[in-house]
Amino acid sequence: MRRSVGRVLGLAALVALCTAHVGSPDVWYEGSAGPYHVVVYVRLPGVIPGIADINVQVVDARPEQVTAMVNLYNASAGTPPPDVAQPVAGAAGWYATRLWIMAPGSNSVTVAVSGALGSGSAVVPVAAVPSRRLPLQRWLGVVLGAMGLFLFAGIVTIAGAAVREGVLPPGEAPSRRRLVGARGAMAGSALIVGLLLLGGWTWWDGEDRAFRERMYRPFATTATVIGSGPRRTLRLEIQDSGWVMRGDSLWLRQHGQRAWPPLVTDHGKLVHLFLIRQSDMGAFAHLHPTTRDSVHFEAPLPGLPAGRYRIFADLVHESGFAKTLVTSIDLPGPTLPPGVDSAGDDGIYLGAAAAGPAVLPDGATITWEGAGTPLVAGAPAALRFTVREPDGRPASLEPYLGMPGHAVVAREDGAVFIHLHPMGTVSMAAQETFALRRLGDTATGAIGSRIAARDSAMAAMTQAIPGGRLSFPYAFPQPGRYRVWVQVKRGGRVRTAAFDARVRPAANAGAS
Amino acid sequence: MASAATQSSLRPDMRAPAISAEPAASGARTRSAVLISSAAIVAGILWDISWHKTIGRDTFWTLPHVLEQLGAIVAGVSCGWLVLHTTFAGSPRERAESVRFWGFHGPLGAWVTIWGTFVMLTSAPFDNWWHDAYGLDVKIMSPPHMVLAVGMISIVLGGMLLLLAAQNRATGSEQIRWLARGFVFAGGLLLVMVATMVSEYASRANTMHQPLFYQVAAGAFPVLLVALGRAGRLRLPATASAAVYMGIILATMWILQLFPAQAKLAPIYTRVSHMVPPEFPLLLIVPALAIDLLLRRAGRRHDWLLAAGLGLGFVSLLLAVQWWFGEFLLSPAARNFFFAADQWPYMVQPGPWQHRFWGVTRDAAGNLDALALGRGLAFAALFAMGSARVGLWWGNGMSRVMR
Repeated sequence: MRRSVGRVLGLAALVALCTAHVGSPDVWYEGSAGPYHVVVYVRLPGVIPGIADINVQVVDARPEQVTAMVNLYNASAGTPPPDVAQPVAGAAGWYATRLWIMAPGSNSVTVAVSGALGSGSAVVPVAAVPSRRLPLQRWLGVVLGAMGLFLFAGIVTIAGAAVREGVLPPGEAPSRRRLVGARGAMAGSALIVGLLLLGGWTWWDGEDRAFRERMYRPFATTATVIGSGPRRTLRLEIQDSGWVMRGDSLWLRQHGQRAWPPLVTDHGKLVHLFLIRQSDMGAFAHLHPTTRDSVHFEAPLPGLPAGRYRIFADLVHESGFAKTLVTSIDLPGPTLPPGVDSAGDDGIYLGAAAAGPAVLPDGATITWEGAGTPLVAGAPAALRFTVREPDGRPASLEPYLGMPGHAVVAREDGAVFIHLHPMGTVSMAAQETFALRRLGDTATGAIGSRIAARDSAMAAMTQAIPGGRLSFPYAFPQPGRYRVWVQVKRGGRVRTAAFDARVRPAANAGAS
Repeated sequence: MASAATQSSLRPDMRAPAISAEPAASGARTRSAVLISSAAIVAGILWDISWHKTIGRDTFWTLPHVLEQLGAIVAGVSCGWLVLHTTFAGSPRERAESVRFWGFHGPLGAWVTIWGTFVMLTSAPFDNWWHDAYGLDVKIMSPPHMVLAVGMISIVLGGMLLLLAAQNRATGSEQIRWLARGFVFAGGLLLVMVATMVSEYASRANTMHQPLFYQVAAGAFPVLLVALGRAGRLRLPATASAAVYMGIILATMWILQLFPAQAKLAPIYTRVSHMVPPEFPLLLIVPALAIDLLLRRAGRRHDWLLAAGLGLGFVSLLLAVQWWFGEFLLSPAARNFFFAADQWPYMVQPGPWQHRFWGVTRDAAGNLDALALGRGLAFAALFAMGSARVGLWWGNGMSRVMR
């Protein structure tokens, strides 16, 4: 019954657009758990403490047991016992359980699989934050109001009865004076209870305000263009005092804030910044600004046409907390020839989405497999792509920032934005912070330098990935019109293709 | 024993002559049912809090929850049955010993208990929504929890009123003694509930050097102790109730620690191997004794003056015992099974702060600011006086309850 109540509540929930990943709070992970290939889907609660739905698919294997466990990144005295996930009826290979996430911040879901092939585990980082405010449903308001009225009348009646008859010896009828006194007691108790209710209402209001203040917001950020001519630079500045003042423990204490841990590199980059033209999503760039102070981030501006752009910037803290900063900017006309690719790992795409297979500048193609399959909000989307050489053979892919490919998903109104990898919605750096954390790690920056060392080792890897297949585990969180940009590296250059997606509302919205 | 004023109110000639003197069996059954239910609710609360400190994860159907719900249902249903019986099938005597409520008849205490049960029922969907809206609140002080607490307290209060009415009507000294014992037991349960409600501010040894501890205790306890002292018919009713409170907490403390348990929620910062017990009880027995003695000596004529004395006495005695006892509880000597001062919930990050006093008033140089402390304690004394005055009114009312 609780579950169905929760479902109804879920329907009424006001999903604020301020989850750690913009509008896309659910976590998808695909990868290995020892000898097993697993897909993990975590549906986060909108409030913390709250219950997360953990779903695990073990691909092409019959495990004996699947367990899951949630833990906060810095828990120092052990882990809770893992829960056994139960097979999901009607979904072969899927296992599910529900786990409490008690503390906001960087949590991990550890999935362990055991069976004939042996045992293995996977760590899935989840950024758990209070992200939505639930209004009081009408029916519940009516029920509580009616009960409140009934109880109010009840206590006032009891107060009257106590004075009128309560102190009279059995059988004695109340005097006229006592009857008047009883009325006075009723009026007095009504006043007192009324004042108490008013106090309770004010208290509730205060708790609600405090909750809204605790709700997750990305750092306040602005973007500007510096300089002119071909050397124009895009500058992103984090203005949030909670970040700017992170080293000032006195200021933090006075403002009741905790110090955010430093940033770590993700695929060797501190920030992955995306520009998407607001009017038609017809211009897109993926840049990697650099910084000296972790407050100002700068990148050379590529040849983007004039217009208003939404900016999304992904970063990861040393705790494993991944977040997306959001801002916008008006770009004047291009000074570089439009469409000129940025250097290195930056990528740019101008124009409409491909109607069929997208043709890359070098003649290779990217095909969205099953592009005709209807897409439904909340349901696993078939984001599978094949990259082919101009002659039709499956292409080999060069590692692009350690991955065979990247995908960026945005809804036309900017309410949903996410940067996907074949491993899902999770940031690789976030996962690394859990893998590289050692018990008793207290020095800030220690994990960051371990990640940087690992990143540079990975950058040296240039081995091509054969097969040309790309698959991104994901479910579109809301209905609407989306664009999906797929990026691969060929011949040392980043190549981008764009596809459009129309996502329908779920027939049974809110059901899991 | 009872004061002259109370005895005069018990004169048999005040009774209506048509009513037989046979005590009603249904009343005794209901009193026992409400008292046992109240005890179950108190046990459930203490167990549940320990559960949240130790295991963390729970469902609607954990044993402590069932104990609380069963307590509420048994109390509410037995009082509901008493009301229906009195209204539709009651003897003239039973009806004479009842008050009217929307056309129904029943003893005052039964109505209060029924009301409390409905308040508890109302808090359930409110609390459930609260958890969905704002997250599970791992704290005692939240609006829905306070609604729940009002319901629980009303159930015990109803039981107290049932006992009081019977006690104030009774003529046999043996009967009075049993009813008076039941009354101080119910008073002890009420003290446990109120102490639990304010435990975030007035239970940990670390808070015993800050004015807030004394202010909260001064607001919460004198009203109860004074009312119990005035309405009870034992020699030292407030003291006896305080002893019941301490006994219940101590028993819970020692019993819970015997049961192995492990945390089932993350993050775990403190390893727990057994159920985490409640804090050592406040030494309320000391100020309670002073309250009883003062009440006996002063009589009923100067209640305003008496309230001032009671309030001042409560705060000074509480200060005298808890200030030093707090120091003892923070010392290594208290880190054992008996005092359990080293037992912390699994989610607490260990550190030297655990063995320090918190919120101590200090001047710029970091020394104890006696003036600020004195000011805080003066406020505590004022609260205690107000609390004691309300307690006297309430106690006077309770000692006259006849139905």
